[in-house]
Amino acid sequence: MAFWQVGDSTNKQNLRVSRHHPMSWITIVWSINVGACLTLGAFYCAVWCKQRENWVHLLFSCSAVAAAAISAFELGMLNAQTVERYQALVRWIHLPTWVLTVSFVAFVRLYLRAGRRWLAWSIYGLRTLVLILNFISPVSVNFRTITDIHHFSWGGEIVSVPVGLPNPWGLISSFSVLLLLIFSVDATITVWRRGDRRRALLVGGSMIFGAILAWHVPLVIWGVIEVPFFLGFTYTAVVAAMGYELSNDMARAAHLARELEISDRRLNLAADSADLGLWEWDLSKDEIWVTPTRRAQLGFPVSGKITFEDLISRWHPDDRDKVRQALRDAIENGKDYEADFRRVLADGSVRWVAARGRVYADKQGKPIRLLGVSMDITARKQAELEAARQRHDLAHLARVTSLGELSSSLAHELTHPLTAILSNAQAAQRFLARDDADLDEVREILNDIVTEDQRAGEVIHRLRLLLKKGEPQKHCDDVDLNEVVRDVLKLMRNDLIIQNVTVDTDLAQNLPPVTADRVQLQQVLLNLVLNACEAMADCDSSERQLLIASKSENGTVRVSVTDLGGGIPEEKREQVFERFFTTKKEGMGLGLSICRTIINAHQGEIWATNNADRGATFHFSLPIVRSGALSAASPKVLDGSALTATDASAPRAAAPSVLLGAGANGSEAEELLVRSSSDLLERRQ
Amino acid sequence: MITDQLMPPSPSPTVFVVDDDAAIRKAVSRLLRSTGIAVADFVSPTEFLAQYDPAMPGCLVLDLAMPGFNGLQLQTALDEKGSILPIIFLTGQGDVSNSVQAMKGGAFDFLTKPVNAKNLLPAIRAAIEKDAVVRQEQAKFSEIHTCLDTLTPREREVLRHVVAGKMNKQIAGDLGITEATVKMHRARVMAKMKVQSVAELARLAEQCGIRGTNSLKSAA
Repeated sequence: MAFWQVGDSTNKQNLRVSRHHPMSWITIVWSINVGACLTLGAFYCAVWCKQRENWVHLLFSCSAVAAAAISAFELGMLNAQTVERYQALVRWIHLPTWVLTVSFVAFVRLYLRAGRRWLAWSIYGLRTLVLILNFISPVSVNFRTITDIHHFSWGGEIVSVPVGLPNPWGLISSFSVLLLLIFSVDATITVWRRGDRRRALLVGGSMIFGAILAWHVPLVIWGVIEVPFFLGFTYTAVVAAMGYELSNDMARAAHLARELEISDRRLNLAADSADLGLWEWDLSKDEIWVTPTRRAQLGFPVSGKITFEDLISRWHPDDRDKVRQALRDAIENGKDYEADFRRVLADGSVRWVAARGRVYADKQGKPIRLLGVSMDITARKQAELEAARQRHDLAHLARVTSLGELSSSLAHELTHPLTAILSNAQAAQRFLARDDADLDEVREILNDIVTEDQRAGEVIHRLRLLLKKGEPQKHCDDVDLNEVVRDVLKLMRNDLIIQNVTVDTDLAQNLPPVTADRVQLQQVLLNLVLNACEAMADCDSSERQLLIASKSENGTVRVSVTDLGGGIPEEKREQVFERFFTTKKEGMGLGLSICRTIINAHQGEIWATNNADRGATFHFSLPIVRSGALSAASPKVLDGSALTATDASAPRAAAPSVLLGAGANGSEAEELLVRSSSDLLERRQ
Repeated sequence: MITDQLMPPSPSPTVFVVDDDAAIRKAVSRLLRSTGIAVADFVSPTEFLAQYDPAMPGCLVLDLAMPGFNGLQLQTALDEKGSILPIIFLTGQGDVSNSVQAMKGGAFDFLTKPVNAKNLLPAIRAAIEKDAVVRQEQAKFSEIHTCLDTLTPREREVLRHVVAGKMNKQIAGDLGITEATVKMHRARVMAKMKVQSVAELARLAEQCGIRGTNSLKSAA
C-alpha cells in the first residue's frame, strides 16, 4: 500500500500558497451548501415542532443538518494543513454520515412508503457497525493511518486529500453504500409502479444518484481518482429533492386547507339551510364541536370549549335523562345513537330535535368520539301532535255517536233512580201527612232517596267521562279489563234487554292489569258489543246470544266478543277495520277503525275471526303491565308520541363519567311514535 | 218475593208490583202502602207467575223491559191463563213499539217512568175498581151458571121458549106437552133461577148467552 504514500514538497508549497488565498471558490461554494442545508434543516425542524406527529419533517431536518455537517467537514478536510486535523475530520465525519444514511432510509420508508424493511434494517445495522468500527479504529474506518496530506490543484484551487494506509473495514462502509443503492433502486421501482412517477424520479433518482456518487470516496481514498471529496453535494442533491417534494406537500396541504375551508363553508351553508346541526364529541377530552350556527343558537360563545354538561344543560330538563340513556347505550353497546328531545334556545323558545350519531372507537375498540347530526323536527312534532289531536277528536266523536245509539239505555239508567226517588219522596209526603207519621219509615225513605240520587250521579259521572274529550295523555292507569267488560254491560243493559240479546261472560279470574285509558277501552268494547248486537238483529230472538270472554296469555290480556250472527265474509275480515268500510245503511265506517287506532296506540292488537259454527268473534289483546316498572310496550301517551319507560337497569360500568351525572340512572323514559295509521270501523252484517 | 204481606186469603185487593229494579220495587210499594193499598212485589215475571192465584183481586204494576222473560211475555202468559188482572205497564221512554203491543194486548194503562203518584195512584185505583167490577160480574155469572146447572133438560127447553117470549099454550104446542105441565116446569125454572119475573129471567138468560127458541114449529 506504499504507493498511496505519494506527495511531494512542491505540492505542499503550493498548498501553503493557496492557504493564503483569502477566499477560494471552493470555500465559498461549500459554505453556501452548508448554509443552504442548515436553513432547510432549521425550517423543517420548526415545521416539525408545530406538527410533532409528522416525523417526516424531523427526518428531513436531520438529513439536511447532517448534509450540512458533512459539507462542513469536507470543507475542513479540503483545507486541512496538518495530518492530525485531517485524522480528526475523517474520524468525525462518520457521525453525520450515519445520521444522514439512517434519516434517508427512514424517510424513504416513512414518506414514500417504499423500500424493503430488511434492507433498511441491514443498512441501519451496517452503518452503525461502521460507526462503531470507525471509533475503535486508530484513525477511522477508512484509514488505519494517515501519513501525509496530498495537495493538488483542482478547478484552479489547491485541495488536500489524505495519504495513508486504508483500513480494510472501509469495505463494510462501501458495502453499506451498495446496499443503500439497492434499497434506493428498489424503493424507486416501487414508487414508480405505484404511479407516483415524479416522486420516484426525484427522490428515488436523487438517492440512486447520490449512492452512486458516494463511490468517489473510496476511489479518492485509494487514489484511483484525484478529486476533492464532494459527498456533501451529492447528499445536498438528495436533500433538495426531498425538500422539493415536502414543499409540494405543504403547498398541497395549504391548498387542501383552503378547499377544506370552502367545503366547510358549503357544508355549514347546507346544514344551516336544512337547519341541521353537525357535531362531534371527543370523549376523552369531553369536548364538543358543533356547527357555528347551532353553536350560536344554543347561546355558546363563538369559540371556547363546550363540554357535554354544557350542552345538555341546553336540553329540556325532562329530556336530559333520556338523552343520557341513549348516549350511554350508544357508547357502551356500539349502537347508533338516536334520540328525539327538546332544546331550549337562548331566547327561551323550545324546539324539538332529532339527533342521530355514531360512535367511533380506536384500534383497541375503546370509544373515542361520537359523530352526529341533529335536525329540527319541531314542525313534524307539531304535525304529529296535531294528528294525534285529530285522532283523539275522532275517537271522541265516535264515542259520542256510540252513546247516541245507547240513548235508551242511558235514559233507562237515569230513569230508574229518578223513579225510585220520586216514588219514595211522594210516599214520604203521604206518610208525613198522616196523624201517626212513622218517622222511622220516613228516615229510611230519605236514606233510600240519598242512595238513589248517588246512583243517578254515578250514571251521569260515567256518562260524562265518556262524553268528555279530555287530554289525550292523561288517563292512563292500571285497568282491569274485566271491570271494563262489566262497566260496558252495565251501560248497555237496557239496550241488550230491548234487543233481546242474552249476554254470557267468561271472565278469567285474577286477570293481570293493563296500562290503558279506561274510557277508550270502554269505547272499544262498546263498539264491539254494539256491532255484535247488530250482527244478530235478524236472528231469532232466542238465538241472540253474546259471549264476552277474557283471558291472559303470552304476556297479554285478551278480550273476545263472540256473536251468533252471520259472520264476516272471509275476504272482508281485514277490511272491516278499514276506515269508511261499512255494511250498515247508516254506518259511517268508523267504529272498528277507531277501535283499531285505540288498540294500536296501546301497543295491542285487534282482529276478527269467524266461528266454527256461526257468527264471528272480535278479539283484542293488550300487553300486561310488568310489575315494578312500566313495560316498554305500555303506552303512557295514547296519541302522538307515547312516553314509555324502559327497565331500570344498573348503570353500566363503562359509561363515561359525564353520563353518570345526576339522573343518569334509574328508569328512563323513551319516546315512541305511535303508529300513525288510523283505521276504522264498523262491521255490518 | 213478597215483602210486604203474603197474598191475602181474603178478597181484599192487592197491587202486584213486578220490576227487576229493587229500588223501584221498594219505592213504588212504599208509595202504595202510604195510601193504604196492599202490595206484593216480585223481582221477575217468572216469580210472579209461580205464585199467581187467579182468585186474588187487585192489579198488576209491571215493568216493561226486563232481562229474559219480560213484561209483554208475562202479559201474554196471563192472558193464556184467562187472567182478568188489569195490567198497568211502567216503562222507560222510547219503547213505542212495545207500548203499542202492550196496549193491543189489553193493558189497562201505560205509564212512563219516572211515574208521578198523581198518575199512578188514580190508575191503580181505577184498575182495582175495574177488577172488582169484573170479579163481581164474574161471581154473578158463575152463580147464574150454578142455577142453570140445576135445571133438567126439559126445564132448559122450557126456559128457552119462555125467554123467546112465547105463551104457555104455544110452548105446550111446540113441545107436545100439556099447558099444565108447561106451567109446572116454568114455576120450577123460576124457583131454581131465583127470579120473580119473566123479565128478570130473560135478563139472566141473556147474560148467560141463552137464546130463545123461536121457530120450533117449522122445525117440527
